[in-house]
Amino acid sequence: MTGLHRSAASVAAGVQTPTGVQTLTVIALLIAWEMIGRTGLLFPELFPSVTEIFQSLWVYVTTPLLLPHLNASLYEVGGGLLLGTLSGIPLGVIFGSRRSFIQVMEPLILYLAVVPKIIVFPIFILFLGIGTGSKLAVAAIASFFPIVLLTIAGMREVRPVYLDVARTLGASKFQVAAQVYLPAIAGYVFTGVRIGLGASVTGALLAETKIAKAGLGFMIVEYYSQFRMADMYSLLLLIFILAALANWAMKALFSRLLPLPRGTQDAGVFF
Amino acid sequence: MLKEETRLGLWRILLILGALSLVEAAVRVGWINPFFLASPLQAVAVLWSQVVGGNALFLTLVTLYEIGCALFISTVVGLLVGFILWRYRLIGASYEMLLAALFSSPIILAYPIFLVTFGRSSAAVIALSSIFGLIPIIMNTKSAFQQVNPILLQVGASMSLTRRQMFRHILLPAVAPTIFSGFRLGLTYILKSVLGLEYVVQVGGVGMWLSDAAFRFEVGEVYAGLVGTVLLSVLFLYMINRAELLVRR
Repeated sequence: MTGLHRSAASVAAGVQTPTGVQTLTVIALLIAWEMIGRTGLLFPELFPSVTEIFQSLWVYVTTPLLLPHLNASLYEVGGGLLLGTLSGIPLGVIFGSRRSFIQVMEPLILYLAVVPKIIVFPIFILFLGIGTGSKLAVAAIASFFPIVLLTIAGMREVRPVYLDVARTLGASKFQVAAQVYLPAIAGYVFTGVRIGLGASVTGALLAETKIAKAGLGFMIVEYYSQFRMADMYSLLLLIFILAALANWAMKALFSRLLPLPRGTQDAGVFF
Repeated sequence: MLKEETRLGLWRILLILGALSLVEAAVRVGWINPFFLASPLQAVAVLWSQVVGGNALFLTLVTLYEIGCALFISTVVGLLVGFILWRYRLIGASYEMLLAALFSSPIILAYPIFLVTFGRSSAAVIALSSIFGLIPIIMNTKSAFQQVNPILLQVGASMSLTRRQMFRHILLPAVAPTIFSGFRLGLTYILKSVLGLEYVVQVGGVGMWLSDAAFRFEVGEVYAGLVGTVLLSVLFLYMINRAELLVRR
């Protein structure tokens, strides 16, 4: 077998792995998109070439063009997540502290979690105006639900036998909270905060696309209304990359601190 | 003595009524400016007048039509793709991760792409919402087939069942509950996506009504639209949960 044959065989074996198929799929999609963009085969105004999109993305990354909008969005997303966390964790702990509370409250919260939070936006506009406050409020309410629900789930995991043992050993209320409840719910709370971040990003940016004066969502709609498709696609790509990076960073940080619970939802359902 | 479930239900109703009474009192007493907050009774009265004399029912039908279309597309494509991903392992292992990544990204923000492609119409809402419903149905279909107990298949083979009989009597009953869970998740996401997009894009049914009322600063109508949207979401979730219980029985 010649060296050429051997390398061809190893490439073929590499392609027949999930990573190989994923890489090939992405490359094939990019080539197809580039060809469609260059030849104008399909909706020439709607699909700019990949090169144009990446050129536009390069401008965003290397110039301060988007900085004021990024700042506005970060303020809304960060503030919303903070408010959602500060309200979601204590309420989750209270609702999850007794079986009867869980039974009464959890279905109510689950039913409300299904309602798209963006529809509360007009009420926040009435109270807070069209500035950053109303988007922050949407982000807060969007992130609240995953955080409170996962905190309740964590509280439910605390086994009564642990509490009995702690009481038998004469543990104070603070010791029970720190030594029994905290280790049991921390993983769930972290997962809730991470999912809350995704919900906060979606809530704030979606609200920005409706009515805003600044923000990344606002810019998407600006580019859409000016028919600057390459700029719109590149901005969407940038948002997706930033959201994925934030999610990955949070996951990495939290998994270093403690093992995360398995089987929790990981989706943008809470917008 | 009341049954446990009835007692809990009564507590929930009491809680909701208590919260609404507080808001009603706050608006009536003047603690909250009625320009910002309509009282719950006013919101319900406006909703009722829209149902009886306005076009609330028509708008609800438009929303239901969009949900139905998105669900149909998601189900047909989702079951087929999920089956293929299970049948061909390499493809399944490769694309499951890509689908999961897509699912956890804020894809709803890509709605302008759908507006450019389909126009500012219900078609854009249906197309994007279909993607929301599609991914959980694909994932659950794949995992449903993966989880089928091989002993069941061996029993079928030992009874000399044909491929069709094997599918009808063994595979289908085994995969139905998990697939239905995906269907439930998909329908929930479609519901959220349709109502949210209708509001943001201002097309279609109930969501558009809410957006339109907010644009006209009709506070009573805004809250009526909000109540209507919440009721529709809650009713849908209740029906889905009941249906899932029936399937699992």
